[in-house]
Amino acid sequence: MPSGRKGQVPHGTNLLDAARLLGVELESICGGRQTCGKCQIVVEEGRFPKHAITSSTDHLSPIDSRETAYREKNHMDAGRRLACACEVLGDLLITVPEESQARKQIIAKAATDRVIDVQPAVRQIYVESTPATLEDHRGDWERLQAAVAEQWGLKNLTVDALVLPTLQPALRDRKSSSEEGMYCVTLTLWQDSEVLRVQPGYAEGAYGLAVDVGSTTVVMHLCDLRTGAVLATEATMNPQVRYGEDLMSRVSYAMMEPQGAARLHHVIVAALNDLAKKAAAKAGIAASDIMDVVLAGNTVMHHILLGIDPVELGGAPFALAIDAPVDLKARDLGLKLGTACRVHVLPCIAGHVGADNVAVQLAEAPHRQDETMLIVDVGTNAEIVLGDRRQVLCASSPTGPAFEGAQITHGQRAAPGAIERVRVDPQTLAPRFKVIGHDEWIEPGTTPTVPESARATGICGSGIIEAVVEMYLAGIIDSDGRFNENAAGRSSRVRFDGRKGEYVLADAAQTATGQPIVVNQNDVRAIQLAKAALYAGVKLLMAERRRSSPDGGSTQVEDRLQTVDRIVLAGAFGSYIDPRHAMILGMIPDCDLSRVVAVGNAAGDGARIALLNREQRAEAARIARSVIHVQTAVATDFQNQFVGAIAIPHATDPFPHLEGQLPARPTGQAARRSQRRRQPQPL
Amino acid sequence: MSEELDLTQLPDEELIQHIHDDLYDGLADEVVAEVNELLRRGWTPYDTLTRGLVGGMDIVGVDFRDGILFVPEVLMAAKAMKAGMAILRPLLAETGAPQVGTLVIGTVKGDIHDIGKNLVAMMMEGAGFKVVNLGINNDAEKFIAAIHEHQPELLGMSALLTTTMPYMQVVIKTLKEQGLRDQVIVLVGGAPLNAAFAEEIEADAYCRDAAVAVETAKKLIAIKRGQS
Repeated sequence: MPSGRKGQVPHGTNLLDAARLLGVELESICGGRQTCGKCQIVVEEGRFPKHAITSSTDHLSPIDSRETAYREKNHMDAGRRLACACEVLGDLLITVPEESQARKQIIAKAATDRVIDVQPAVRQIYVESTPATLEDHRGDWERLQAAVAEQWGLKNLTVDALVLPTLQPALRDRKSSSEEGMYCVTLTLWQDSEVLRVQPGYAEGAYGLAVDVGSTTVVMHLCDLRTGAVLATEATMNPQVRYGEDLMSRVSYAMMEPQGAARLHHVIVAALNDLAKKAAAKAGIAASDIMDVVLAGNTVMHHILLGIDPVELGGAPFALAIDAPVDLKARDLGLKLGTACRVHVLPCIAGHVGADNVAVQLAEAPHRQDETMLIVDVGTNAEIVLGDRRQVLCASSPTGPAFEGAQITHGQRAAPGAIERVRVDPQTLAPRFKVIGHDEWIEPGTTPTVPESARATGICGSGIIEAVVEMYLAGIIDSDGRFNENAAGRSSRVRFDGRKGEYVLADAAQTATGQPIVVNQNDVRAIQLAKAALYAGVKLLMAERRRSSPDGGSTQVEDRLQTVDRIVLAGAFGSYIDPRHAMILGMIPDCDLSRVVAVGNAAGDGARIALLNREQRAEAARIARSVIHVQTAVATDFQNQFVGAIAIPHATDPFPHLEGQLPARPTGQAARRSQRRRQPQPL
Repeated sequence: MSEELDLTQLPDEELIQHIHDDLYDGLADEVVAEVNELLRRGWTPYDTLTRGLVGGMDIVGVDFRDGILFVPEVLMAAKAMKAGMAILRPLLAETGAPQVGTLVIGTVKGDIHDIGKNLVAMMMEGAGFKVVNLGINNDAEKFIAAIHEHQPELLGMSALLTTTMPYMQVVIKTLKEQGLRDQVIVLVGGAPLNAAFAEEIEADAYCRDAAVAVETAKKLIAIKRGQS
């Protein structure tokens, strides 16, 4: 293998598993179901003295019916196999093609500069307590309680049971007592009610973690709870990915595998411990100085973190175990932080709208705006929030994984080598594109000089969105998404295999694989379905808003309720999407383009707000209770809205802000498909 | 275009061609007018159905399968087909014309997604099948009750979630327990499924999309009738 890894595996081991055992991560989106075709490998034939083996394709189990089915539907080089469909039966030397390698993702992780009023749930106070005497028979704790009441006005303090043993040594620390012989200590308090730590003398330093546990990426901010400063930000892939790419396959793993839910819990907790250790090291503190944590995550992550089996979230009615915020100790979850460190888990809204969405709402505060704000958080499920200070509605829409590059012929995750930006010349139909990891645009015709780092391995989500839109603007595909036969006459890049069109985005010499990268009819269809689900969700929220608006009725209000003033694209993916392309595609409704903004990891920012401001935790709970959740899939109008939204940008909805930028639609006679059907087929 | 045409002046073959084109373009009013014209000329309801409507929907099905047409166009075509069927259905019942077959279809328990399944239902209607659409979130009892009531040749099950597709196996098991398994051809479909899964749960076939569902249904029914 190019990785140089070698080792032995038991006879009959699945090759995908064998690769993982040997530390070689192969791309797999379907989780080994012979569906995505991302785990293709090549067996080197012959004797390899260097490795003292003879490698042969016969040392893999023969091609079975499932692999055959994949091969029938998709182009696959004869020498290649799907690793997930192979069992290891003997010695093998395997080459992993460029596009089959899973790579570390690009993560937008810089905490943005939001203004947060620092008023944390955990703070430190310095107290001087009278020493014990023969006359004063009270316990040291009771004496300390009295001192805190007197000096800080805080009554009814409690103390964490595991902190209690540290109380007397701290009080009697000789170096720390005052000249008058008073016991001097610094207490770390949670919500001014519980003592989390007792340190001798005056001490400074209470730290907290704000964590967004995404299904793909986990982002952690380590903050100084006194100043609010972000001392370190760490991010990692969610290690649960190895048990299932998307959320539902992880729920499925928990359902099917004994101890599955426990395993998912343990790997994510281990990852959080690891991140905390790294963040603490970077900030020059000890992990045991961390006294507060705020966790945000989607509902499945939320349940798994809390050790709750997510099985109920796998099917209707998608019942949450709890939607209210949860307060507990970090040690209860297995987090190795301060002994009595607290954890605040943000509340959830509904089965598919979780604490991460509450965090986004906390950060963007649609409920405090006079204008209508639309927040779109794109993932396998898109979460949509719409509203203003009068009313906020939310929904989740099943967009599927197409926006993440899955279900796309040459799709891949956003990683070095992925095409992320695309422009197509409307006259010549020649493409320019940008590849992640290389700063320069790749121009058509520059083929011989394309450097190694700029060779494309596939197309990521933002790339496929731009590609489809540029193809539409250049007339390669029509508004209905179909490849236009006339375009084949304009450029050899538009090819037809029978009646199925495709567009060559990158020439063989521009790619890492030596194979051209194309966008075909099925890819366009997959993107159309995904964006239609998103847009239909937005339309349902608009309709529900009209229905339930406290001041509906007048025409003026009606009009206002059908438009949005500002669109916020949340999530890592949102940062990479170009707003204009998103709107021309019809992912998002019409809006002034200067008012469409990407806000990055808003969920992480929301968690940070809740970490640094206790009032905001109450605010989050209020948001979760008051937002109106709309179950899109069962809404009677969903199908109509969905179907209308399949066209680019939409079958009927106007986009005044795009006026003059869209190709004219065929009308009348020209619009009749049956006429077009009769035209002679190209090639 | 059709409204300027005098349908009565067209030869039969051209009229059929017009039905096919108008179905393809999803023009319900035109399809209705053309169906009425064929009937006026003394065509049997059965011939009008098979050569006109079903023949036209076959073309739609092939182009859908090949990615030339997509969901919105197919739904428009299915609506036009339905308009034509509304005229023919009572006449077909009167004349006792042969039935293509009956399909009971639904999304399985725990799953609330049904656009794909509805598309299958419409394409099957387009192919002349009688379709009983049970909607979403159906448990085994509902499927069984529908089988008893409608005596279908075909049972279709759909799921969009990885977590709900295992329920199909529960339904098939229940069919076996109640001795109904051999009575129906079981077709399954939905985004997370594949042929291997269908085989594993002992369904008769996995159908990738609505066009494949129609082809598979016709093929399996023909085989079954050939056997009995």
